[in-house]
Amino acid sequence: MSSLDPGDRLMRSDESFEELWSVLDTRVRSETLTPDCLSDDMIAALADGSLAPDVRASILPHVASCPRCRLAVASVARALADPAVARELSASSNGRRWYRIAVPLAAAAVLLLLLSSPGDDRSPVHRGPPPPPPATTPIPRSPVGAVAAVNALRWSPVAGADRYRVTVFDATGGVVYATELADTVVAFPDSVALIPGDSYLWKVDARTGFDRWAASELAEFSIAAPRRR
Amino acid sequence: MDDWVAELQEGRSDAAWDLFLDRYRRLLFAAIRHYAQDYDDVMDVFARACEALRADDLRRLRSWVDQPEHRARFSTWLVTVVRHLTVDWFRHRDGRRRLSVVAEGLPLLRRRIFEHVFLDQRSHIEAYELIHAAEVPTLTFREFLSELRATYHAVSGGRRGQVLRDLAPRPVAPDDLPADPAGPSTTDAAEQSQLMEQALSILGPDDRLIVELFVLEELPAETVAKVLGLANVKAVYNRAYRALAVVRAQLERAGVRREDL
Repeated sequence: MSSLDPGDRLMRSDESFEELWSVLDTRVRSETLTPDCLSDDMIAALADGSLAPDVRASILPHVASCPRCRLAVASVARALADPAVARELSASSNGRRWYRIAVPLAAAAVLLLLLSSPGDDRSPVHRGPPPPPPATTPIPRSPVGAVAAVNALRWSPVAGADRYRVTVFDATGGVVYATELADTVVAFPDSVALIPGDSYLWKVDARTGFDRWAASELAEFSIAAPRRR
Repeated sequence: MDDWVAELQEGRSDAAWDLFLDRYRRLLFAAIRHYAQDYDDVMDVFARACEALRADDLRRLRSWVDQPEHRARFSTWLVTVVRHLTVDWFRHRDGRRRLSVVAEGLPLLRRRIFEHVFLDQRSHIEAYELIHAAEVPTLTFREFLSELRATYHAVSGGRRGQVLRDLAPRPVAPDDLPADPAGPSTTDAAEQSQLMEQALSILGPDDRLIVELFVLEELPAETVAKVLGLANVKAVYNRAYRALAVVRAQLERAGVRREDL
C-alpha cells in the first residue's frame, strides 16, 4: 500500500534513495528521553506546522538528532494527514465556531424582523451591487510579480483577525523573513537582502480565533534585475 | 471559552468530562483508528484513553488548560496524546499476542525478521546475526536488508501498519550493541551506520530532517514541507536532492563507494 503522490514516487525512484535507505535504517535507534525532548504540545505544533518560525528554528537541531522526538513528530504528522483524522479535526474546530457565530446572528436577525414594521416603504433600499462577502483568508496584495524593489508587504484584512503572520521564502523554500503583527502592512527590513532576478514566495496567516489561523495562497515575486546600458 | 473548559475551571469535572467527550469522541476514535484498525483493539484503546484522560480528576486535560501559553491547537495536542496512549497500550498490555497474528501471513524469513524486530524489539543488526547464525547461514547482509525493507512494507501496509511503525524501534543505547558483531558483513554494516551518522551530522538541522522524514520515514513531501515551514513540495525535493548529494560525497570521502552500500 502506498499513499505517495506521483511527485514523491518519482523522486523516490532515484536509486540513491534505495541505497541510502538501507544504510539509514540499520542505525541504532534510541528512545531514551532527554531533558531536551519535546513536550506533547510542541510535538503537536511542529507536526501541525503551526509553530512560529523562530521557535521552530530553535528546536529543529534537537529533533534532527533525537530519534524519539523525530519518530513522534513523523507519527503525529502522518496521523494528522489521515483524511479521517483531518475531517474530525476540522469538525471539532469549525463546528463550535459555526455555533458561536450562527446563534448570535440568528438572534440578531429575529430582532431585526421584530423591530421593522411591515409595509414601511421609507426604509432604505440597497440599490447597488451586493457587498462582497467578508474575506476569510488574507490575500497578498504586493509585492506580486516582477517589482523594482520591496519596501513593504501588503495584504487584505480578514474580518475578526487580530494578528497576522507573514513569511517570505526563497526559491529553495527556506524562510528569509518572518514576522507577526496586527496591521496589514509591514515594512520590509533592509537587513534582508533580496537578490535581483531570484524568485521569492510569501504568504500571510491570519489569526481568526484562539489558536486558529487562516492561510493565504502563496504569492510569488521577483526583484527585476537592473538594466544594462 | 469552550464549554468543557468553563466547567473544568468551575470545578465540575463530571460535567466537563461529558462535554469534552461529546465534542471530541469522534476525533478520539479517528486518531485511534489511524493506529489500530481492528475493532477490538480500537474499543480497548478508546477505553484506555478515556481512563487515562479522566484519571486524577482530569489531570491531563487540566494541565493543558492551565498552561499559560499553547503552541498547538487543543485538538492536535489530543491526537498526540492519543498516539502515545495507543503505542503504550500495544507495547505494555497484550501487544505481543495480538501483533503475532500479523506475522502469520509473511514468508518464513520475513516472519523471523518480524519476530526479532517487532516482537522482541531487537536492533536490525542483532536480528541479522541471530538469523544468520541459527537459521540461514548463507544469508548475506545485503539480502537481509532487502528482506527487512520488504518486511517493513508488508506490515506497514496492513491493518495495524501505523502502530507497527511506532513499535519497531528498540529502546536501546549504542553501548548495548555487541562490541564485536560476529562476521565481517555486520561489522561493515555497523561501520557504515556510523559513517552515515557522521555524514548526516554535517547537514544543517532542517536538511537532515528532510532526509530523515522524507527518505527514511517516507512522509509525503507536502507533510515534510508543512513540518519544516517550507514553501512547497518542490523545496523539499530540491533540498532532499542536494542533501543526499552532500551525504554521498561525504561517504565517498570516507571510503564508502556506491557499490558498498
